[in-house]
Amino acid sequence: MKNLIRNIIYQGKNLLRDAGFSFWVMLYPLILAMFFNIAFSGMMDIELTNIDVGIVDGNPIEQVLEEIEFINIHKITDEEVIEKLDNEEIHGFIDEDLNLTVKKSGINQTIIKEIIEQIKQMEKLNRPIENYDFEANYIVDRNQKANSIIVVFFSLIAMFSTYSINAGISTVSLTQANLSNIGVRVNSTPLKKKNFLLAGVIVALFLNLLANGVLLLFVKYVLKIDLLKNIKYSIILIIIGNLFGVSLGMFIGASNKKSMNTKILIGVASTLFLSFLSGMMGPWMKDVIDEHIPILARINPISIISNNLYRINILESTKTVGEGIMILFSYCGVLILLSYMFLRRKSYDSL
Amino acid sequence: MVVEVKNLVKRYKELIALDHFNMEVEEGEILGLLGPNGCGKTTAINCILSLLNYDKGEIRVFGEKMTPNSYDIKREIGLVPQEVSVFENLTVIENTDYFCGLYIDDKNKRKQYVEEAIEFVGLKDYTKFYPKKLSGGLKRRLNIACGIAHKPKLIFLDEPTVAVDVQSRNFILNGIEKLNDEGSTIIYTTHYLEEAERLCKRIIIMDKGRGLVSGTNEELKSMISTSEKIVVGFTEIEDETVQNMKNILHVMDIEKAGEDYIIKFENGFNNLANLMNFIEENQLVYTKLQSQLPTLNDVFLELTGKELRD
Ligand SMILES: Nc1ncnc2c1ncn2[C@@H]1O[C@H](COP(=O)(O)OP(=O)(O)OP(=O)(O)O)[C@@H](O)[C@H]1O
Ligand SMILES: [Mg+2]
Repeated sequence: MKNLIRNIIYQGKNLLRDAGFSFWVMLYPLILAMFFNIAFSGMMDIELTNIDVGIVDGNPIEQVLEEIEFINIHKITDEEVIEKLDNEEIHGFIDEDLNLTVKKSGINQTIIKEIIEQIKQMEKLNRPIENYDFEANYIVDRNQKANSIIVVFFSLIAMFSTYSINAGISTVSLTQANLSNIGVRVNSTPLKKKNFLLAGVIVALFLNLLANGVLLLFVKYVLKIDLLKNIKYSIILIIIGNLFGVSLGMFIGASNKKSMNTKILIGVASTLFLSFLSGMMGPWMKDVIDEHIPILARINPISIISNNLYRINILESTKTVGEGIMILFSYCGVLILLSYMFLRRKSYDSL
Repeated sequence: MVVEVKNLVKRYKELIALDHFNMEVEEGEILGLLGPNGCGKTTAINCILSLLNYDKGEIRVFGEKMTPNSYDIKREIGLVPQEVSVFENLTVIENTDYFCGLYIDDKNKRKQYVEEAIEFVGLKDYTKFYPKKLSGGLKRRLNIACGIAHKPKLIFLDEPTVAVDVQSRNFILNGIEKLNDEGSTIIYTTHYLEEAERLCKRIIIMDKGRGLVSGTNEELKSMISTSEKIVVGFTEIEDETVQNMKNILHVMDIEKAGEDYIIKFENGFNNLANLMNFIEENQLVYTKLQSQLPTLNDVFLELTGKELRD
């Protein structure tokens, strides 16, 4: 036991002080989360106030626009249109036939355009326009968009929960005499190989869970995105993601004699690809998969984690969690079993 | 017998790395495994430590059969591998403490051992350094500290002085002698003749996976037919006189090397005196006269037909 703790401390120090590890496991998740937040924040916080719309006096649309709280009406003459658009005093100009003139495209312009479409529709259907709640409608719309960003963030968290893959690869390499110089030394000592490996796996899980925790706190308190409502199941899913990562790392590490860098690359590339399929680079990918190859979402470990995070936290349904956990556990089992076949050897044909 | 290796055969696919290799190491000695690059020194060590499978043969350490699970035997062994094998992100003192701790549980004893080992390899001013901040020679010293801190009974040192400057090398060699004085049995591999000659009580000369001969320095040198070489240069000498020199007692052969002649003698005393007599009798004037005792290189040359020096 004392020996295990010593091994955990020293292997932990060695890993934590590795610049590459600290960056990819500790810092990179925060950077990526921040990047995604910036890239998608346009979708999330649409300013629903102070959209400046120009019309000429007497345009019948005035009545409708007056009902919409977030629109400021500017009465201008035809001659002033270009000038006011240039000076950005108005975001768009609507003429009497409901044609829109804008100078550039942006969220506000899109909103004006959609309002006009809405009005045209209502007219066609002969509905009284006064009853239409534009604001509420936009908030619903905005929430849907925010939801798809949440899909991206759940994918991100799912991916980083499997980042224990790196530590899994490196600990296996240090354990095996045929994979590293330290492996030669370690195997010449009275330390049992399985104890060294166990310490390495504990370190891998501990450090990656720590990094995941930091990421979650960062998203919640710095980016101010509230992701987790069902904390208990979320943590279980993240822990299983970590176990899956270590198991896959051990398998990649033990099953071949490629260089450490190649193995890390294989690990990162495979998790990135699975995350891409689960919708991390944009929710459309998830929609495509859900529509055409739904089975893929059910077997892709990252999808299992991110979809279930979505379901338990947003849809408040735990229906598929059990199945997901079972599948992930079977993956871990198979990977550990396969790794064991390589790891149990103690003398080698060649070092 | 501390280590006994009998008829060890090790193949890497087609390549035969060890070919019926034999070795016996007695308690308290420094045994040198001397041979050129690729002759199988590292392979032999890794087989003895059960890190490598072997095809045939028997290996006993401390009288017991060595297996990967012989943890009690491993407890008494220290390994200084040919490649520097330390944790990149642990300091000098952390590395030494980590490896020492795999053998020594007692905290106070370990602290003392670690300090001693670091002092022993002369890294006292570098305890907080990371390996990448150490020069090549200092890194090798750390590699040694990690292998010997636990004061093992049996130490394997695999070419610990390769790529090390003269100062570091002397430091290391002195240290190894000291370890031996303190009671450790040492197996030392090298392809440097001078090191083997200086350090080792007994030497096994290896080539192409085979142990060619073994014995003390003197025993090895007495095994070969040439026991003494004398290099002479003359101002002037007739071919006939050179032929006559061959009749001096014990002369085996005479070679011309540039302006000089190398006269090889077989075992015998007074070779130089006999040559001087001959020179006087023939009224020759010599410009150069050097007597050379055979080196391990001559031994290797006679055994394999090639030089051991690079
Ligand atoms: N893993 C391996 N696979 C195939 N061949 C190997 C392997 N390791 C060593 N060899 C070969 O086995 C032979 C013995 O190698 P070994 O490393 O034991 O030599 P050595 O005496 O330690 O040499 P050096 O002085 O260069 O360290 C060499 O011909 C080498 O090329
Ligand atoms: Mg070698």
